[in-house]
Amino acid sequence: MKKFLIYLSAFVILSLYFILTIFVLPSEFLMTEQLVPEPAFQSTLSDSEITLGDSFRLDIVSVNNGDYADIHIVSVAFPDLTKINDVVKIATYDFTLSPSYIYVDEEIGSKYSGGVETTLAQYPSIEAMSRPLKPDVPTHFDLVITPQELGIFNIYVKSIGIPHTSDLSHYPYSGILDHQNEYVLVYSVTVNP
Amino acid sequence: MIINDMTTSLSKSSETFLKTKSEIIFLIGSILTSLGILLVTVGGSWDITNHLLSKPETFFSPPHALMYFGVAVSLSGVVLSFIGWKNLQKFRDSYFLSLKIKLIGIGLLTGAGPLDFFWHSYFGLDGLLSPPHFTLITGMFLCSVGGMIGISRYLKFNNSQSIAKYLLILAVIPVWLSASGIISSLSLPFSSTDFFEFNPEPTFAFIIASLAYPFLISLSLLLIFRLSNYQFGIMSILGGLFLLIYSSTAIIPNFAMFDTIQFYSLNLIPFVVADVFLKLNRSKLSLFFVGGLVGSVFYMVYYPYVMYTYNEIFLGKLVSPSLIYFVYFELIQTVLLFTIIPSIVMGILAVVFSAKLTKKILIN
Repeated sequence: MKKFLIYLSAFVILSLYFILTIFVLPSEFLMTEQLVPEPAFQSTLSDSEITLGDSFRLDIVSVNNGDYADIHIVSVAFPDLTKINDVVKIATYDFTLSPSYIYVDEEIGSKYSGGVETTLAQYPSIEAMSRPLKPDVPTHFDLVITPQELGIFNIYVKSIGIPHTSDLSHYPYSGILDHQNEYVLVYSVTVNP
Repeated sequence: MIINDMTTSLSKSSETFLKTKSEIIFLIGSILTSLGILLVTVGGSWDITNHLLSKPETFFSPPHALMYFGVAVSLSGVVLSFIGWKNLQKFRDSYFLSLKIKLIGIGLLTGAGPLDFFWHSYFGLDGLLSPPHFTLITGMFLCSVGGMIGISRYLKFNNSQSIAKYLLILAVIPVWLSASGIISSLSLPFSSTDFFEFNPEPTFAFIIASLAYPFLISLSLLLIFRLSNYQFGIMSILGGLFLLIYSSTAIIPNFAMFDTIQFYSLNLIPFVVADVFLKLNRSKLSLFFVGGLVGSVFYMVYYPYVMYTYNEIFLGKLVSPSLIYFVYFELIQTVLLFTIIPSIVMGILAVVFSAKLTKKILIN
C-alpha cells in the first residue's frame, strides 16, 4: 500500500511537471511584455552645397529612447555610389562593435525581419552597431564625405533597434523606403563645379 | 658523511612514501583531472553566454581565467596520476587505461592552445565549432573520461563506503558537461565566421540534438547509479548539480532570462522521481522507464541554447538575447511533438549501454 502511494504521488508530480513546463509556464512567459527599444537620431550636415573636390561632414548622434536594446544599429547608405572607396571616411565612432561595410550585391536583411527576409544590396552602406545599448546613452557616428561627381549627392540614414518588436523599434517611422524596404531620412548636398 | 646519510635516508623515505601512497596519489591525480575539466566546462559555458550577450571582453575575462585555471589543474592532475601510476605496487594494469586516456586528453587539451592562437592569427575570431575548439573539447572529454575511470576503479578496488561514492559525482559531471559541449558544437548554429561556414546543416543538427542529448542525459544518470552500486539520491544530486551549473552560467548572466529560473528549476523533478522509482524497483522495466523519462526532458534540461538548433528548422527567426526565452517557449510544443518518441528511445538505449559501460569501467 505504501509503495502504491509513493508510485501514485510520483506519477501525479510528474504529470504536474509536464503540464507546467509544456503548457502553463510557456503561455505565461509568452504573455509577458517584450522589450521595445526605440531608436532615434539627429543628423547635422556641415554644408548643403560644396564645390567638387571639397568635403562635408555628416554628424549623427543616436540614442535609444525605449527599453534596453540587444542591438542598436545606425545605417548610412550612399545610393549614388557603387563603391565607397575614398569618398567616405569615418571621423568619429563610439559604437561598441566595429563598423560593418556593405557592398553592392551583398545579401542583406529586409523589412526589419532581422535576416529572415533578404534582398541584394543595390548600393553601398556602412552599419554602426552597439551590442547592447541601454536607454538614453548617446552614440556618435560622424562621417567626412568627399563626392567625386557633380550634382546632388544623397545619403540615406536610418536606425533600428533589436529586438524589433514594434513600429517604434525603427527610425524614421515613415517616408522614403530604401533597398531593404525600410524607412530612411534623406540628406542631400549639391556638388557644384 | 652525515649529510650524505641524511640525503640517502630522505630519498629512501620519499620512495617508500610514493610506494605506499601511490594509489592515493593516483586518486588525487584523477580527482584533480576531473575537477580541472569541470572548471573548464563551467568557464566555457559562461564564455558562450558572454559572447551571445556581446559583453566587452578581453583575454583576461573571468570565464577565460576560469578555463585556463581549469586546464592548469587538469594538467597537474595528469602529472600526479602519472607519478602515482609509476609507483603503483598493485592494480598497475587496471589503472593504465585511465592514465592512457588522460595523457591523450591532456595532449589534445594543451595542444589546442597554440592551435587556437595560430587559428586566431590567420582567420580572426572563430565560432563554437572550429578545428582548435573541437580539439579542445575532445581533449576535455577524454581527460574527464580518464578521471572518471580512475576514480571509479579506485572506489571499486578499495570497497569504498557510501560517503566516498559521492566522489563519483565529481567523476561523472565533467564527462556529462564536456560531452554536452561536443553535441552543442555539432548542433548549435554558432560557428559561422568571415572565413569559414562551420554551422552544422540544420537537419543534421536537428537529428544530432534530438538523439544525442537524450542519450547523454540518460547515460550519465544511469552510469552514476550503477557505478555507485545503486546509491539512492545520487542521480538527483548529479542532475541537480548539472541544472545548477547550467543555470548559473547560461541563464543568470542574461538578465532578460532571470525570471525563467523557476521554470528551469522544475527540471529537478524528473531526476528525483527517477531516484525514487529505482529505489522502489530496479527491474529492467523500471530502468527503461527512468531512461525514457530522463531522455524525454532533454529540451527542458538544455534550456535555453538548444532552442537555436530547432529555431533553424522551424522558425528561422533572428534571436537576440532578450528574445531567447520567447522563441524557446514558442517552440516547446512543436519540438516535443517531433522529438518525444526518439528521445524516449534514446534514453532507453542509454540504459542498455550504461550497463555495458559500467562493466567495462569496473573490470578487474
